[in-house]
Formats: sequence, structure tokens, C-alpha cells
Amino acid sequence: MSEARTTPFAYVAEFGSAPELYHAAEKVRDAGFKKWDVHTPYPVHGIDKAMGLGKSWLSTVSLIGGITGFLTAFTLEFFTQVMLYPTVVQNKPTNLNTIPAFFPVMFELTILLTAFATVFGLLAFILLPRWNHPLFESPLFKKSTDDGFIMVIESRDPKFRKERTKEFLEEIGAEEIELLEV
Amino acid sequence: MAGLKDADDFREGEQFKGGGLLKLALLGGGVLFLIVFFVLYAAGSEQSKQAMGYSWLFAVTYFLTLSIGGIFWTLLHHASNSGWGIVVRRLMENIGSMVLFMLILGLPLIVPAFEFRDALWEWFPKKAEIEHHIHEDFDQKLADLKSDYEKNKADAQSAFNAFKSEKEAAIAKPGVTPGHANHLKEAIAHEEKELQKLLDKDLSEKALTKEIRKDAYMDHHHGDVLLWKKDGYLNNGAWYFRFVLYFIALVGIIYTLRFWSVRNDKDGDPKWFLLQRRWACGFLPFFAAAWTFLVFDWLMALDYKWFSTMWGVYLFAGSALNSMALLILLTSWLRKTGHLKNVVTPEHYHLMGKLLLAFTIFWAYIAFSQFFLIWYANITEETVFYLTRNTGYWNKHAMIFLVAGHFFIPFGFLLIQQAKKNVKYICGVAIWTLLMHLMDIYWIIIPERGPSITHGQEMIIKGAIIYDIVAFLAVGCLFGFALLWRLGTASLFPCRDPRLDESLNVIN
Repeated sequence: MSEARTTPFAYVAEFGSAPELYHAAEKVRDAGFKKWDVHTPYPVHGIDKAMGLGKSWLSTVSLIGGITGFLTAFTLEFFTQVMLYPTVVQNKPTNLNTIPAFFPVMFELTILLTAFATVFGLLAFILLPRWNHPLFESPLFKKSTDDGFIMVIESRDPKFRKERTKEFLEEIGAEEIELLEV
Repeated sequence: MAGLKDADDFREGEQFKGGGLLKLALLGGGVLFLIVFFVLYAAGSEQSKQAMGYSWLFAVTYFLTLSIGGIFWTLLHHASNSGWGIVVRRLMENIGSMVLFMLILGLPLIVPAFEFRDALWEWFPKKAEIEHHIHEDFDQKLADLKSDYEKNKADAQSAFNAFKSEKEAAIAKPGVTPGHANHLKEAIAHEEKELQKLLDKDLSEKALTKEIRKDAYMDHHHGDVLLWKKDGYLNNGAWYFRFVLYFIALVGIIYTLRFWSVRNDKDGDPKWFLLQRRWACGFLPFFAAAWTFLVFDWLMALDYKWFSTMWGVYLFAGSALNSMALLILLTSWLRKTGHLKNVVTPEHYHLMGKLLLAFTIFWAYIAFSQFFLIWYANITEETVFYLTRNTGYWNKHAMIFLVAGHFFIPFGFLLIQQAKKNVKYICGVAIWTLLMHLMDIYWIIIPERGPSITHGQEMIIKGAIIYDIVAFLAVGCLFGFALLWRLGTASLFPCRDPRLDESLNVIN
């Protein structure tokens, strides 16, 4: 195996506590890194701001899904029940005034497609499903599910330099640093 | 992480300062409009007096719903063991405790001397008329009925005796087949049973009175079978008794919770906090029952023939929504006048905005479900509610506007996250929602006025809108005054609540 060529994938760094990680994240954000992430055993409030994450686009995807569902149901019901084959039920008119009868289906399809768009949109955003991830090779990363506050800076970040990034991580308070290679 | 607030810095609480001039203006305005209302009442004709009953009910109901929502949010906050809203919980309690003043302002509605009661709830005069018919020559009726029955009994007895001896003679005849004899015996047994039923008939005064009453209610000319069927619920004694129960339940719940909450401010003993949390769950069903039946008695009974099982939850949905809107406005006003500056953050606005969105949807869901079931089933007793409200003067455009204004506009607006965090936008939505609620309550109560007072001759009483405005301003000013006064009686937030830290630093 030792003959195989390896390329650096990322620096995995451990920090002592949530506040230390939080402040380190602010510094990484200010240094202009883009392809990086933090992993903690529990949710840390405000970490998204410290990382400089903007608002997620997922809600837009949900909205588009919802509108699609609404229009699908409306068109389906209106064209079939009113325009193509006017169906008189209980002497109710077949025109726009019949719309209350269509609401339950419109409501359900709106909810259904919103949920679909949200779930599948999220999967697309986070590039799931996938078989494996290089990070799983890192012993340090495993601590993030137990007691470790982990930061990962990936090598595909344009600001990533093998030496300088390591120094930078030490500078901002990383207690242990590991170069993960694939 | 930086700048976490420490609850120990807030242990002293914050008193409501200022607002004195506004309080005075509101009290003055309230008294002034109250006087105007009474002058109009004293000078008005019989019809306008009756019309004013509806105006007063409309005004009281609007502000009653706001305070009911305050009770609900306090109860829910404890029952769900929430931490986010501790800083605004005292304001919820203050809004909720307005229920006492609103029920007191509602007293003219239930005191018969004002003539509001009989104008609002037609079953009172109708029932009184039927009862009057019953009591006319009551003793004579009772005696007649009794002698009728006694005569019937005697007649039936002799008829039976004749029948029996005839049949027995037939059986004794020679040549009768066993089958035929058996048949005759059965006929005798049957007749005897019928006779026994008549003889056993209870001729006590109580039983006969019930029969006379039932006959009077079933009468085609001046009776009403529905009033007989609903006699157990819609009768004077039960109605007043229920009002006392509602009063005790609603006022008792919120005053108890607020008392414990304020005690907690003084000594910081967690037992008060635990008491509130434990009892809130037990109070919830009583609160729900009291409010549901109160709106049955006050609003659904405006037309005693009409009914909707979703009525209670429909009014509740509007209450909770608009109480939240009022809470947002009150918080913003307090912040503007220099209170709660470091206590309430945009995160709290975001949370309150989310609840506003949730209850906008909930109201639409309930309102539509009620309409949908009635529209689809198309039963005469039920559709009358919507027919009154979308024909004639109350044309369907008002209803469609309510659908758009009460649901679609605030819904679209509140979907945007930034709109919920921005104080100006969320206050704009809150004001809009309160205006739509005004229209909703108006639309529930006032369309009953014309048909009820003129016995179906007119859909509207012309000019009566003046009374509505005066009544609304009178009750509104007094509500505002009472609320400002109430704010000053304790700290603006529960300053020694054990979970204040959590609420001060809430992030969602």
C-alpha cells in the first residue's frame, strides 16, 4: 500500500471545547475558506453565523414543490371535472364556484409535493446517498460523535496549502491536527 | 457565544413606567363613548335599542376573544413546558386576565332589564310566549286533562269487561277448534295489557304538567318542536347557571396562574413555578369546555335552530391567532417606550411570528372545514348560516374578502423568514390580522340582527353601524385602559423564573 500515491484530502483538527471551536470558526470564516465544515457531538447555537453560512435555499425548493402540487391538483380536477367532463354532484354547479370541493385534494397534493421537494431537495443539497466518505477513515473525526469538537478543511478549497493551513489551524487553537489522505 | 445574558442581572424585574397620559386618554375615551352609547340607548326607539344589543355583543365578543387567547397561550406555555417565551409570559397573563373585565362588561347582555337579551337570543321571548300559553288557565287544563284520563280509564275498563265476556262466551261454545280458542285467548291477553298500560298511567301533577308543556311546544301555531327538544339545554335557569360556571372557570384559571407567577417574582421559590406547570394541564380541559360552551350560548344561539360542532374551535382559532397578534403589538409598543429593551430579541419575534403563521393556517383550516361540511351536506338548518351571510346586503364578496384577507395575505407574508424577524413587518401583519378578526366577528354577529329584529323583513337595520362603532370604541378604550393598568401591577416579565436564562438567550 505504501507505494500507492496519496493526495491530501483534508485537515482534521480537534478543538478543546465548543466555545473554542466557535471562535476558531469565526477566524476560518474571516480567512476566506469555503470548503470546510465543523462537527460537534451536540448542536451549537449560532455556529452557522460563526461559519458565515447564509440562509439555506432549501425553503425555495419546498416552495416550488408546494406550488407545483397546488397547480397539479387544480389543473387535474378543474380540467377533468369542469371542462372535459362536467360532473354534477348533488346539484352543485360545475364552474369556479365548485372550487371548495377541490380544496381537499389541492391541500393534500400541496403538502405531499412540498414534503417530497424538501426531503429530496435536502438529499440533493448534501450529496446523499453515497456509499462512503473519505472522512470515515479519520480516527479523529470519529470523536465528533462522542466528545470531540472537530473542524475539517478540505484540500479542494482554493486557499488550502499543505504547510500554511496547518500553521493556521495551530494558530487558531487546534489541539490535534491530522492530515487525511486518500 | 459571546454576550450570553445572565438571568441574575434581570432578577429585579422591570416595572412599567409612563403611559399615564395614554391611560388617562383611554379611560376618558371609554367613559365618553360609554355615555354616548347610553344617550343613544335612552333616546332610541324600541328597534334601535334592540339593534344596540348586537353592537354591544359584537364589541364585547371581539375583546373577549383577545383575552381568551391570552389564557390559552399561558396555559399552553406551561402545559408544553416551553422555555422560549418566559420573557413574554407575563404579557400573556396580563392579556388573559382581561377576561374578568370583558365578562363584567358583558353583563348588560344577560340582564333582561336592558332588553338586549331578548333581542339577541330569540329563544328567550319565544319560550316565554309558549310558557305564557301554558300558564294560561293552567289549573283548568290540569283538571281537564286529569278528568279526561279518569273518564278514559273507566270507559276502557268497561269496554274491556264487555270484550272479555263476549270472547269467553265464544270460547265456551261447543265445536270451537283449539286453534281458534287459542287465538281468542291471545286477543284477550293483548287487550288486558293495553288496559293495564292505561290504568298504570301516572296521573300525578308532575307527569300531567310535562304532558301539557309538550303539547304546547308541539303546537303548530305558537309552539316550536326544536325548543322542546333543546329544553334541557336552552332554558333560563341552566343558561344563567352556565354563565356563572364560565365566569368561575375562565377568571379562576388565569387569576390563579397569574397569582402564582407574581408570587414567584417576589421570593423566587421554584414551588410556584412547579405549581403553575402542574395545574396548567388540569386547567386546559376546563378552559376548553368553558370557552366552547360560552360561544355556543352567546354566538351560536343567536339563531337557536342553527348548529355547528366546529363552532367552539372556530372561535378559539381566531382568539389564539389574534391574541398572539396583540402580544406582538404590545411587546413592540413596550420596547418602543423603552421597556424590555435587553430582554426581548428578534428571536422572540421570529418565534411569535411562527405561531402567528401556524394559527393563520389553523383558522383557515377550521373555517373552511366548517363551510365545506355545511356546503356539501346542504341541509336546510345548517346552510341558513351561510345563506344569511352571502346573500343580499352581506354579499359573497365580503365572505371572499375574508378568505383572502384573513388567510391568503397574511399566509403569504408570514412564509418569509425575514418578515417574521423584522419588527416593523410583523407588526404590520399583526395589525392587519386584528382588523380581519374584527371583520370576522362582525360577520358572525351582525348579519343576525336584521332578520331577528324585523322577523325576516329586512336584512340590515339602516344606520345601526353607528352603534357598532360607538360600542366598539367604548369597550376598546376600556380594554386598553385596563390592560395598561394591569401592566403596572407587576414586573413586565417573570424575573425570578428558574428558566429565565433559557428564554433570554433563546435561538431558534
